[in-house]
Amino acid sequence: MKISAEDITVTFWAREVLKGISVEAGNKEFVGIIGPNGSGKSTLLKCIYRILRPDNGAVYLDGTRLHSMSVKNSARKMAVVAQHNYYNFDFSVREVVLMGRAPHKKALERDNARDYEIVEEALRTVQMEEFGDRVFSTLSGGEQQRVILARALAQQTPALILDEPTNHLDITHQLLLMELVKQLNVTVISAVHDLNIAAAYCDRIYVLKDGHVEGCGTPQEVLTPEMIRKIYKVDAEIVYDSSGKMHILFV
Amino acid sequence: MKKTASDERKSSILRTSLFVTVLIGLFVFLILTVLAAVTFGNADLSLKDVYSVIAYRLFRIKSLSDYGEGAVHDVVWLIRLPRVLLALAVGSALSVCGVVMQAIVQNPLADPYVLGVSSGASLGATLSIMLGIGGIFGGNSVGVMAFFGAMISSFAVLAIANMGGKATSGKLILSGMAISSVCSAFSNFVIYISNDKNASAEIVRWTMGSLGGASWDRVTVMLPLMIACTLIFLTQYRNLNLMLLGDDVSITLGADLHRIRTVYLVLASVLVGFAVYSAGMIGFVGLVIPHIIRILFGTNHKRLIPLSALLGASFLIWCDVLCRIILKNSEMPIGVLVAIIGAPCFIYLLVKRSYGFGGGKT
Repeated sequence: MKISAEDITVTFWAREVLKGISVEAGNKEFVGIIGPNGSGKSTLLKCIYRILRPDNGAVYLDGTRLHSMSVKNSARKMAVVAQHNYYNFDFSVREVVLMGRAPHKKALERDNARDYEIVEEALRTVQMEEFGDRVFSTLSGGEQQRVILARALAQQTPALILDEPTNHLDITHQLLLMELVKQLNVTVISAVHDLNIAAAYCDRIYVLKDGHVEGCGTPQEVLTPEMIRKIYKVDAEIVYDSSGKMHILFV
Repeated sequence: MKKTASDERKSSILRTSLFVTVLIGLFVFLILTVLAAVTFGNADLSLKDVYSVIAYRLFRIKSLSDYGEGAVHDVVWLIRLPRVLLALAVGSALSVCGVVMQAIVQNPLADPYVLGVSSGASLGATLSIMLGIGGIFGGNSVGVMAFFGAMISSFAVLAIANMGGKATSGKLILSGMAISSVCSAFSNFVIYISNDKNASAEIVRWTMGSLGGASWDRVTVMLPLMIACTLIFLTQYRNLNLMLLGDDVSITLGADLHRIRTVYLVLASVLVGFAVYSAGMIGFVGLVIPHIIRILFGTNHKRLIPLSALLGASFLIWCDVLCRIILKNSEMPIGVLVAIIGAPCFIYLLVKRSYGFGGGKT
């Protein structure tokens, strides 16, 4: 599925947070969005996953305007793993993941065996199958993040939006999550903090700064010492290891 | 601890069958409760008399036709049974409303009483009785006015709590208290100035709760209303679950809950309104009953709603029985008794669970 955001403008009070940004992710493309804190990454993603309504511009899923679709329809097309997931109530892990099936259900339809299979499979994929009966709020931050990913997987959508998904995760699970998402072979738009992870997994990267797109292209094109200095104000060196992988060293 | 997938499946089947067993168990217990509760009362009637009257009225058994009229019949059929059934309906209604309001405000401390909805209903009912406001609604005008009172106060509480940022539990409870005080003050003022001989009795009835006014008229309104609303909410379990995740997350899961929330609040207000009209203000039922169920069966509304409805019904019937027998030749207001039992329960839960609600470790 192709996702395109065109000319998105968002103003909070008198401050323009996004100044006419256009971003595009082709079918099955893994697009990363990088930029310093406050550059508008999350705001842009929130427009894409429908929580914020842009003041100007629009988001299109396969050419259909997002706000002309029903909420249920858009939830069948893209799933979201966002940063904060704190619940006042205690659901079991399995119940949380089962909620990912909600967009596929009619008002009075019951959950069937197939739904439970999908849930178990999603839990297995994120290596949380032993946690099915645990209470969600008693899990660690990283475990919760993986359960939320499982919920997104249970939605079985052709697109996935990740809003800094690797927050709270240790390095093992950061790599596991990115590897897993990569293997899903769906359209992905992800905000990424770690430039090395961005370099390793993204097909294309957009660089955001102060609410506009500073550059875009493949990791090799975008992640240059000049760009990194311009955006993050740190000096970096780009090296390639024996297998040809790109690494960014901060000096 | 390592568990295999088949173990997992087994344990979830175990939980499901436990749920069904408890559901049936509570239902049987409720029926036994109703049958037991009609035998308690001031008039000294034998078990045989009581059940003969009920058997005659239900099945028209010829040999029992002696029980078709007279004092025994009136006590059992016109006083005791309606009262027990009203307690059943009100107990269920308050528990289900508690569950739904907790979902609406995403806070486990919500309850019709805490949020001031009961006081609003009480004010509406008082205005109708004392000043005749709302007479255009005919026979059930008091109930309808109680519903309007409940609805207006619940929206007011939500609006005040949402002022200047998203509602937090503290703001919700404080605005509930404020609205509650305002409504109680107005009802008391109306009762006071109307200078009615029965005013003090009315104050007791509205603010402390009593099932003494039970009649078949009230039962035939309250019971079907409670069953209908409970069934409606039961079909909405998925939305209620999503509601607890917050508006943002539910949009990404395909449910825009803004409008649905208002519909649920109106429906819950209807139920609270008629419950208060039937039995006055009874607090803590909607708080304690869902809590107990959550601790045992988690937050999933598919289980929470039916179990809370059944447990709430039995609970209130037994409370009413206690009210009738605890004082010699007098009756204790049920709201007082429920608060005496309910508040310490609530404190205990709060301390023991250290603000973790439901589920527990498995």
